[in-house]
Formats: sequence, structure tokens, C-alpha cells
Amino acid sequence: MNRLRSTGLALLGPALAVLVALVISAVVIALIGENPLRALQVMTDLGDAPSQQVQSIVVILNRAVPLFLAGLAVSVAFRMGLFNIGVEGQYRIATVVAAAVGAAVALPGPLHVLLVIVVAMAVGALWAGIVGVLKVTRGVSEVISSIMLNFIALGLASYLLTGPFRGSPEGASIITTTPLPESAWLPGLNGVLGAFGLAEPRTELFGFLIVAVVVGIAIAVLIQRTRFGFDLRATGISASAATASGVDARRMVVTTMLLSGAVAGLIGLPDLLGDARAFGTEFTAGLGFLGIAVALLGRNNVLGIALAALLFAFLDRAALPLQFADIPASVVTIIQGTIVLAVVIANEIARRLALRSAERSGAEATGAPPDPGGSADPGGPGPGTGPDGGHRVRTGVTGSSEEARA
Amino acid sequence: MAQAPAAGAEQPDGGAARSPYAVELHGITKRFPGVVANKDIELAVRRGQVHAIVGENGAGKSTLMKTLYGEHRPDEGTILVDGRPVQFRSPADAIAAGIGMVHQHFMLADNFTVLENVVLGSEPRKGGRLDRDSARRRIEEISERYGLGLRPDDLVEDLGVGDRQRVEIAKVLYRNARILILDEPTAVLVPQEVDELFGNLAELKREGLTVIFISHKLDEVRKVADAITVIRRGTTVGEADPRTTTAKQLAEMMVGAELPTPELRSSTVRETPVLRLAGVTVASDAGRPLIDTVDLTVREGEVVGIAGVEGNGQAELVDAVMGLRSLAAGTVWLGDEDISGWATRARREAGVGFIPEDRHRQGMLLGAPLWENRILGHQTRPPAAKGPFIDRKGARADTERIMREYDVRAPGPDTLAVALSGGNQQKLIVGREMSATPRLLIAAHPTRGVDVGAQSVIWELLKDARGEGMGIVLVSADLDELIGLSDTLHVMFRGRLVATVDPRQVTPEELGGYMTGARTAAGAA
Repeated sequence: MNRLRSTGLALLGPALAVLVALVISAVVIALIGENPLRALQVMTDLGDAPSQQVQSIVVILNRAVPLFLAGLAVSVAFRMGLFNIGVEGQYRIATVVAAAVGAAVALPGPLHVLLVIVVAMAVGALWAGIVGVLKVTRGVSEVISSIMLNFIALGLASYLLTGPFRGSPEGASIITTTPLPESAWLPGLNGVLGAFGLAEPRTELFGFLIVAVVVGIAIAVLIQRTRFGFDLRATGISASAATASGVDARRMVVTTMLLSGAVAGLIGLPDLLGDARAFGTEFTAGLGFLGIAVALLGRNNVLGIALAALLFAFLDRAALPLQFADIPASVVTIIQGTIVLAVVIANEIARRLALRSAERSGAEATGAPPDPGGSADPGGPGPGTGPDGGHRVRTGVTGSSEEARA
Repeated sequence: MAQAPAAGAEQPDGGAARSPYAVELHGITKRFPGVVANKDIELAVRRGQVHAIVGENGAGKSTLMKTLYGEHRPDEGTILVDGRPVQFRSPADAIAAGIGMVHQHFMLADNFTVLENVVLGSEPRKGGRLDRDSARRRIEEISERYGLGLRPDDLVEDLGVGDRQRVEIAKVLYRNARILILDEPTAVLVPQEVDELFGNLAELKREGLTVIFISHKLDEVRKVADAITVIRRGTTVGEADPRTTTAKQLAEMMVGAELPTPELRSSTVRETPVLRLAGVTVASDAGRPLIDTVDLTVREGEVVGIAGVEGNGQAELVDAVMGLRSLAAGTVWLGDEDISGWATRARREAGVGFIPEDRHRQGMLLGAPLWENRILGHQTRPPAAKGPFIDRKGARADTERIMREYDVRAPGPDTLAVALSGGNQQKLIVGREMSATPRLLIAAHPTRGVDVGAQSVIWELLKDARGEGMGIVLVSADLDELIGLSDTLHVMFRGRLVATVDPRQVTPEELGGYMTGARTAAGAA
């Protein structure tokens, strides 16, 4: 019952935020002279034919996979109270290096893919590690250094792309790295869709979806179930208490940044391995920053981040149909922006409600008689009967002890 | 029971007892969702008296005082000030009605002068600027009249604790309060300062002011109060005459049961040392020594008490033993091992238990459930861990055991720690540390901010642990606790152990002398 209520409160914040954001966006759409209801209809219309609908879903999933990984990368650091704003730079630099390394070697299929993944994670981790090392050795705020490193990473990636890693011929309008050989391609999942009896979409569903799910589960287990995860969360809740409990805070900062960066290194891979085959000037940008919003909306919970990534991907897909319907596609950006703003406020409200409900349940217990056997029972009286029951017992105790003294 | 204290004590019949009531509370009930914090409170305070309100932590004293100070409104009941019914919407209303509050934790800006602190928020202005001259005149007049001895131009950061408290009192008087609420005013004072405070209170009384004095230090209450009201479980259980009621009777009224005392007399000290410090020095970032060449030995079955005014290096000493601060010089041995370079976790694993001074900052994860708090500090050992994983089931089960054995009152192991009262949080911490059966326990203010009931439980636990051969370092500001529990008692002053006294013979006054540096001769070492 209590857990149900706390889950309800956890969902309340984001749900409220999305609702508020929709209302605000509707007002904005109305103000620019469009019909909000029609916009909503366009956005939710995935297509008429089954193949169109499956195609829309594949587009959403393909967009959601990198967003999910980005949200995950941000949330890992955030669970420890670190703001890794540098996910953007970490994935850009990781992707360009991984693309170059992947193109330069020849390996059998699965190994080749694995190598690209490992290189991307390592580069992402190293880039984020700089932030951690700067923090523990020089006391530099991770917010500042990770933002700064974003610029350096973008510049460095451009240099690497136009210089040593350039694969496209001189004079080409789009500069890319040398495309990955076929052994480094990750096959799509359209065959699986077919097996479910779904129509064949035009776009391949990224095979990296499976990797993302595995990484998501691994991170969830790591943070929720392991000693390392406990240290990480404890540091996030109270750094002083964690230190007193024996957590080496400096090492935790570096380790957590390495982990966050390693996950960030994966963000560009769904596209690199599944579609683009090369890093180039047109490679998807901005995923790192969107990841912050996704992590925020998902409340740093792996499942929540997955839902948030799907929502953002759903909104992103709607940009094109909106333009077809002569509604500015920036409506999507407005909705995403207001969601982020609203979620910050809603999370705070939900946090206070949760705190109050926790304090209430504690107060009920303090009012209860000193009977640890009864009160230790987690399946005790529900909150509906709790206050009355506790109260009655309490007056009884006061009376009886007074009788005993008289 | 014949000696029922409540029955014998109605209203003190002193001279002031005939004066009219300054404050009357009738039938005050305050409900919070799911709990009744105050119920049918009856309180009548006569003008020109010091009226003490005593009760365990969590008994509802603070709720009651917040009601009186306008921080929230009662659900039922009436408040009368000078015989007139009043309704406070905010503390501003209460201040306007002449009620002032001196908080337990000082609310002063260190880098401001006494004058600036006193006028802060109600500054006299002349032409848009602070009118220092009129402010100075008023503060000097107040200081003179009530014997506060304040110099308006002193910086607050240069003042001692007692002076700071007088600044707080001056703040309230400056706002024309006729009724002063003092919340646990002696908690931070040494005995000499307490006497000074009581002198000030006498001055206030003489000038016809009324003082409501909240405390759980019963000896002091009996010394200073003209009347005592006891609160238990949210309601007033009776009044007592301080001249005829003993501290023990008062305490029993507070908890509704008979109490154990902290005294222990039969020595269990063995020969083997568990902790040895040799020349331990800890320096501040600026290089100033915070603790200075401290030598200390704790043997098995021995409680070594560290007395001292807060801020004289006790906290740093604890940090040095726990590995939370690096040493500038010296060595720390645990048993036969030199642990000077060990990390905190290694020290804990080697058998050092830790009850930190500030449980919210160092002892608990307030936003986490109790079972996760059970794991804190024991992440690497069963029942909290299984290989690299957290043993959720084991930790939950052991949390339930701790809740049962150490009387932690909470709905269950999934309750958030923030929901527990201070006493229950502390019992959980003590239970957690004891469960790992440490060789050495560092207990910093183990009963601070906990109620009498939990205090006696914790004292008993410490005594039992000592009997089983645990070495205990006890840092405390409660001199009775130190004298009652320690086998050896050291006094710390400005980072040094300046005296070693025999707890069986020392008096609180003597200790206070060493603690303030007034006495310097070292006792029998």
C-alpha cells in the first residue's frame, strides 16, 4: 500500500509536468493562430496503413535508443549528485574515434562490432574522467569543466574529422570518416518485427536497441543492487554521511564520471553501427543536452528514462508531419522545453508530498505503543485506519500508566 | 505508589504566585495529518516568574511553543496573553503581543557587530540610513537594565557562547518582549555560563518579565524555575513545585516510569589497549593545529570520556581516529596495528564503530529507508552485503531485528529515516554500530537531542558493551553523562588534553574550570 502510494507520487510529478506542458503549448499554438487540437491530432497520427504505423514506431524507437542512452549517462552521474553536462562532447568525441578505429581495422563480424563499442566507451570514459580528475585534484566544479570540455570536444572532433580521420574525398559537401566495413555493421531488427506479423517498415529498426536494453538493465542492477551502487547513491543523498561510512568520495567521483562517460560513449553508436556507418558533419547532434532533459523527466530512474526517451522521440517524430500540415515544427521544441521546465517544478512538488507522507507515517508510528513486534510488521494497518488506530492506542497507554502510578 | 509527584505539587505558593497570569493556554490541541501533537494542553504562567516546561524530546514541547509563538495555529483551544484572548497568524503577531523566542541554535550573523545583529530586521532609520546612535543607546540601556553586559560594537564572531546567547536575549528584548521563551538555553553552556544565564534570568524576573524555560535538564530546572509544567505524549500531565520535587520524581513524571541512572562503578577495564594515540596532531587548512600532540590510550572494557567546550578539538579528534582527517603528525594504533594511513572503510572493517556527533550529517541517509541506513557504514560486511551485491533481504531482516532489540519505533524497515524522531534515529544508529560488534566504539554525543527514555537505553547499551570488553571513546557535552559513564576522563582545551581527572571524584564545577581554561593544574594522570 505504502509502496503503491510512493510509486503513485513518483509518477505524479512527470505526468503532471507533461500535462502542464501540453496546456502551455496549446496556448502557444493558439496564439500563433493555429488550432491546438489539430496539431495534437497531427502529432498523434502515426499513419493510416499498417506499414505506415510500423514505420512511425520504428522511427520513434530509433530516436528513443540514443536518447535513452544519453539520459542514462546523465542519470548515473546525477545519482551521485554530479551534473555531467558534458555528455554532448563525450559522445561526439567517442563516436568520431570509434568510427575511425572501426574503419581502420579488419576483424570478423561480432568482434568488429565489439571493438567499436569498447573504443567508444573507453573514449567517452576518458573524456568524462578528465572532469572527475579535475574535480578531485583541483576542486573544479564538474558543471564548469564539463561544459568547457564540450567545446573542446566539438572542436577536436571537427579537427579529427577534417584532418587525420577524413574519409570522404576532397571537395565533398559532406565530410565523413571512412565508412565502416560490413563486418562492423550491426544488423537491424526488422526480421523480428516480421516474426511478430508486423508489416515491413522502410527503415531498419536499430539492432543497438538490444544493447541499450542490456545496458539499461545492467545500470539498474549496478545502482540498485550492488555495493558500488549503494556507495554511489549514498554519496548522492549525503556526501558527508557516505564519507563517514567509509566511502572514498574522491575515488567515487572519478569512478562515477568514468561510468557516466562510458555510457555516453554509446550514444552515437546506434546510428553509426545501424545506419550512418560513418561519423560526419551531418551526424546527429544535441543528444547529450536532450539527455539531461530525459534524465530529469525520468527522475533518474532507468524505467522512467526509457519512458521519457520514448516521449521525446515521439515528439521529435511529429516535427515532420507538423510541417506537412503547415504548423511550425518548433511546436515540438516548445513542448519539450515546457516539459523540462514543468518537470523541475513538478518534481519538487512531488518530492515535498512524498516527504510529508513519509513524515506522516513516521508520526503514526511514534504515536503507537512501544511494541516493536507489532510496529515492525511492514504489512501493518493501512493508512486509512492508521491515524485513528494509533491515536486510540496512545490515549490508552497514557491512561494506563497514570493508573499504574496512582 | 505513594510518592506520586504530580499529586503533591499544585501551584507554588511563593510571593510571585499571586501575580496575574501573563500567558494562559486552555485546551490547546494541535493535529498534524495522522497524529495529534498536542492535546488538551493546560498551561498558566504567572507574570514575573520563570516557568519551566519539561518533557521528553517528541513530547510536544516545541509544537506547543510554536503555537504560542504564532508559527502555526492550534486546532482547538484558546491562548490568553495578559488575560486577553489572542489569535496569532504569524510570529510577527506574537512579537507585537510582547512574546519573544530565543532559539536553541543561535541565529546570529558572525561578521556583524552586536548592534547590527540586535537591530537586524527592525532597524531604526534616520533619513533612510541605519540610525546607529539611537540603536546604541537602546541596546546599552537594555544591557544595563538586565545586566547583560553587552558591548554594541563587538563582533559576534569574537564572542563566547554565553555572550552570544545574551545577544539573542537582547534581540528579543529590543523588540519589547515581555514574555520570553527560551528553548533549551543551557544545552550549549558550561556550568559557569549556566550560572550567569540564571543570573540574567533573575534580572529579567526582577524587571517583571516572564520567562518560559524549556529544558530537559532537570537539576537546572529545579534551580531556576518558580513553577514547572510537565508534558508527556503531547499533553500536560501536571505541575510540580521545584522546591519540593526531586529531579528523579520529575524525570519519572516525564517518562511515566522509573529511570536508571548513568552511573557505573564496578570497573571492567582490562590491560590490553584497543586504541592508542601518540603525538597526534591535526592541522587546519591554514596550518594552525586543531589538535596538538594528543596522547590517549583506550583499553578493553574502558570508557574514556573527553570533556570540553565544543570547538576545542573534540570533533577533529574523532575525525582523526575515524580516518576522516589526515594527521599532521603522530600515530594511531588499533590494537597492535598502526592504522594512521588507513582509509575510513578499512578502519571500520577492522572493528571501529562510530556514533557521529551530527547524526543527520554523518550518521544517516535521511531520504533513504531504514534498511539502507542499516547498510550505511557496513556496506562491505554481512548481513548488509553478499559478495559485490547488497543483501536486501538480509539488511531488511537485520533492520527488523535492530528495531525490535533496540526499541526503534517505526512502521517498518521501508520507512524513510527522516520520518523518525531523533531518539529513534539515534537508537537505530547505536543498534547498527553495536550489531557489528566493534572492538572500539567512537561515541560522539551519543545522547544529544534524544529523549530521556532513549538516553537511558543508550547508556545501558554502552555499559553492556563496556562490560563485554569494548573500548569506548565518549565525547560529550553532558557532564553528568561523562562523569557517570567514564572510567577515565580527559579534558580537552584548545586542542590539547589539559587534564585527566577521576570521574568518581570530580565535580561538574571543577570540570567546567578545566574546560574554560580557568584551571590549569593537571590532575593525577
